[in-house]
Amino acid sequence: MKIEISATEYLSLVRSGSISVEEFIAKTLDHVHSIEPRLRAYITLDADNALDKARSIDKKMRTGEKVGSLLGIPVSIKDNICTAGIRTTCASRMLENFVAPYDATVVSRLRQEDAIIIGKVNLDEFAMGSTTEFSCFGPSRNPWNTDYVPGGSSGGSGVSVSAYECIISLGSDTGGSVRSPASFCSVVGLKPTYGLVSRYGLISYSNSIEQIGPLGRKVEDVALALNVIAGHDLRDGTTSSGAKIDYVADIGDGIEGKKIGIIKQMMGEGVDGEVISATESAIARFQELGAECVPISLDAVEHSVAAYYTIASAEASSNLARYDNLRYGYDFASEGYEFKAYVSKARSRFGPEVTRRMLLGAFVLSAGYYGKYYLKAQKVREMIKSQIENAFNSVDFLVTPTMPILPFRIGEKIEDPLTLYLLDINTITANLAGIPAISVPMAFSSSNLPIGIQILANSFEEKDLLKAAYALEQTTNLPGVKI
Amino acid sequence: MTKIGLEIHCQLTKLRSKLFCNCRANYRGLPPNSNICPVCAGLPGSLPVLNKRAVEKAAMIALALGCEIPERVSFFRKNYFYPDLPKNFQITQYNAYGPTSIGSEGNVEIEGKVIRMRRIQLEEDPGRLVYEGSSEKTQLTLVDYNRAGTPLVELVTEPDFENPRQVRIFLNVLADLVENLGVSDPYLDGAMRVDGNVSVEGGNRVEIKNVGSFKDIEKALNFEITRQQSLVDRKIPVIAETRHWDEARKITVSARSKEEEQDYRYLPESDIPVIIVSREKIENLRKQMPESLAEKKDRYIKKLGIPAQVAEVLSSDKFYSDLFDKTHTESNAREVANLITTDLMGVADTREKKSELKIDNKAISDLADAIVGNKLTRNSGKIALLELVKTGKSFSEVISTLDLSNVSDIATLEKIIGEVFKEEEKAVIEANTNPDAVNYIVGRVMRKTKGKADPSVTLEIIKKMISIK
Amino acid sequence: MVDRKEIAHLGDLVKVEIDEPEKYIHQVDEILKYFEGLDSVEFQSYKSVQKEISYEDLREDTCEEFLVDGKPLIESLKRDQNNFVRAPKMI
Repeated sequence: MKIEISATEYLSLVRSGSISVEEFIAKTLDHVHSIEPRLRAYITLDADNALDKARSIDKKMRTGEKVGSLLGIPVSIKDNICTAGIRTTCASRMLENFVAPYDATVVSRLRQEDAIIIGKVNLDEFAMGSTTEFSCFGPSRNPWNTDYVPGGSSGGSGVSVSAYECIISLGSDTGGSVRSPASFCSVVGLKPTYGLVSRYGLISYSNSIEQIGPLGRKVEDVALALNVIAGHDLRDGTTSSGAKIDYVADIGDGIEGKKIGIIKQMMGEGVDGEVISATESAIARFQELGAECVPISLDAVEHSVAAYYTIASAEASSNLARYDNLRYGYDFASEGYEFKAYVSKARSRFGPEVTRRMLLGAFVLSAGYYGKYYLKAQKVREMIKSQIENAFNSVDFLVTPTMPILPFRIGEKIEDPLTLYLLDINTITANLAGIPAISVPMAFSSSNLPIGIQILANSFEEKDLLKAAYALEQTTNLPGVKI
Repeated sequence: MTKIGLEIHCQLTKLRSKLFCNCRANYRGLPPNSNICPVCAGLPGSLPVLNKRAVEKAAMIALALGCEIPERVSFFRKNYFYPDLPKNFQITQYNAYGPTSIGSEGNVEIEGKVIRMRRIQLEEDPGRLVYEGSSEKTQLTLVDYNRAGTPLVELVTEPDFENPRQVRIFLNVLADLVENLGVSDPYLDGAMRVDGNVSVEGGNRVEIKNVGSFKDIEKALNFEITRQQSLVDRKIPVIAETRHWDEARKITVSARSKEEEQDYRYLPESDIPVIIVSREKIENLRKQMPESLAEKKDRYIKKLGIPAQVAEVLSSDKFYSDLFDKTHTESNAREVANLITTDLMGVADTREKKSELKIDNKAISDLADAIVGNKLTRNSGKIALLELVKTGKSFSEVISTLDLSNVSDIATLEKIIGEVFKEEEKAVIEANTNPDAVNYIVGRVMRKTKGKADPSVTLEIIKKMISIK
Repeated sequence: MVDRKEIAHLGDLVKVEIDEPEKYIHQVDEILKYFEGLDSVEFQSYKSVQKEISYEDLREDTCEEFLVDGKPLIESLKRDQNNFVRAPKMI
């Protein structure tokens, strides 16, 4: 029995009785145990419960009881998404042992469909970072070369999917946090439209821009996961109440006659040569598939990194204020302390990147600087949104490299936050504009490191976006990680 | 000139659930932390989901105070750390890029004086703190989050009050208004809290906080005005500061030392979408709302012919205007209004005294009818009224026990007038030429009958008897 | 120019004790300098990009008790014997 199969393959094998859920989960867990010392994708494994759940699903299948559509598929969940009964740490020493008393909506929807959560995966602390190095549990490693970063912040998601430690993973994408590890680990990662997927239970970092998104080895797997997690939620007032869409149906429709805009600003200076040629070959493939590709300019992109980090830091400084260690947190007695001294001391457990962003956030919101930074950033966001809307008046999709450079070595850029911020330039556009974007594996560099292509579509056009991604995927025949 | 402005916090106690979650809005009397959920306890991953009824109730307050309701209503975060704030920010409203709070720029007329409303905002109440341990070492703060997230409306006035008396009247009107609108029970402990700011001519503005009750705000303002005035008189500058009301000592004290300049770093609360309030919705709300004070006053004057000043006094007191509306008929409205405003309001002017009144609505109406029909003098009417509200008896019972019925049968009156003529011969002689002498005789008759003689009948008889003579 | 004092002030605003401000001075300063590019953006009016919903679509005013495996939430939180949450003293 192979564990390197796609979600669709898994479902048909289980449905036909060729494999049992228990053997698949057991084998996956064995594999996880053997490979984890090298990769460190997981923060917490829930092996026993996963196996129990697998047995109970097998039993239901045997006795003909109703079984959820995901038939025990093994999933990993980024550790900033709440899971009742399994700790949710945000890879932070502030929440090392925090067990949420409830499931995030996406988690309860997965459970409802009988997905099996085998564990919680690594991230940059509170999802702030793009390499997974800012985790209090240490970095995850890129399965294609374990000296390299897997991207981030949903690095554990990218690694666990890429290295067959699960079939599907849920990450969160604030500025590219699903797409960056998808690109660096050679898997598919989707950031949905803001409001398509409930954020209830996602621990907020920058709540006006982030979304939970699925990662899988195949575009179709991502569509399947989206079918389960998307949709209105009474617990999240920002979710949209559109009709339920089947993202898997007709996914092979192709993109003939579609028009694709290539964002000029993301194909020039600072972009790795091999990334450029991979993107050019993607454009050629799209044309072969019958799409028309045209260059398009989004000049507000010039300010997008500054705007994104201004807004994200501002929101982070507010969202993370609740961690005062009074109602939950770690053991640290308050006797002898005055309130503010206690809280400041308790909060000194935040790691350097989180602290840095809170300081920046306090600065850009403080009296006297608000107009210079925060309001201007909001203005840029508005401009990006309107330029994007404009662009979609003339094209169906936008295409860019997901990451401007190849994966790099662990530790290489960790002391240089601004350089790391600038790597988000291609991905943050979708977050600022609220539109969906997907990263699809496209090629490997001469050094055998993955290169991903990003496709963007208009708000709530996930179905078409997935068709485009699927069409591109069909033109590539990329190997999986050797294990 | 003294200028006073107010910041009033009013809980929307008539709602079922909290502002952003499904916990109970009525937190009173519950065991500590038994009315909390991930949202109001500020747990990671929880999101606020706005209560529709809260928006509606707050909008009704805004409309009742003549405020504009913007088409786009939105929320902001006010960031500061405090143990009663589970998220260490408060979700409130803030007019950053144009008005987005539920109400702004309204006004209310209080005894002819226009009080402008600057802003009305909907926000969450923090939790409740209990201080434990007396010594510095053992001191501890205990937090109960049952109240956290309950819906609160903050009303901010312009500094348009000239004296504490106007403030008291305004607060009474406001309390009646929110009660009348069915949005709050203002007399529940802590349901309405007031902070004030005061400046006297030639001095800086001083904020007064920590005032526990409505009664105390008047005292606190009076104290503060006297304190500031005496500083100004002695040419000592009044410092712009925040002072706390010390309830025990009945004075204001400077809020301790350097209460640092707060930088609240407001930012949009994007977990709550911008709410589009259609103009039709506002019109619908307006139609559902009970009669406003101004409309009530207008009705009293125009439909019932009550003098403007009486209508003003009556309409601004909910208890008495309700009583009036329940008791008057078209023919006795003026008299009922008179009885209430001149006789009853002076006797029962507090909530406690009002609650002690034993009122039979029909008795009041009957009493007014008797006065209108000249069966009772106004003077007797007052005596009867006081007896009515003391005992709760019917009008006829009171009249018979008090022996107040009007003396208007001619034979009895002629007999009494005859007696007076004998006693006051001089006046009778003058009466032919001097109208004052006639009045004097009427007065004597009234005294003899303890005010029960019908004055007009008495006068007629006197005139008849004098001309016969 | 960000200095020690500024870092300490910002640390106070977000209530984080900063043991080594030097670690942050250079990086925060560099990032803020980069952010300054925003200042060249024209700003006349501003249209919020926030999602909008109709008043009618807000949550209905209904109550529901939140329980964790049948027990009140407070039992999942830090608390004292009377179910109060303890906080340090206030000055």
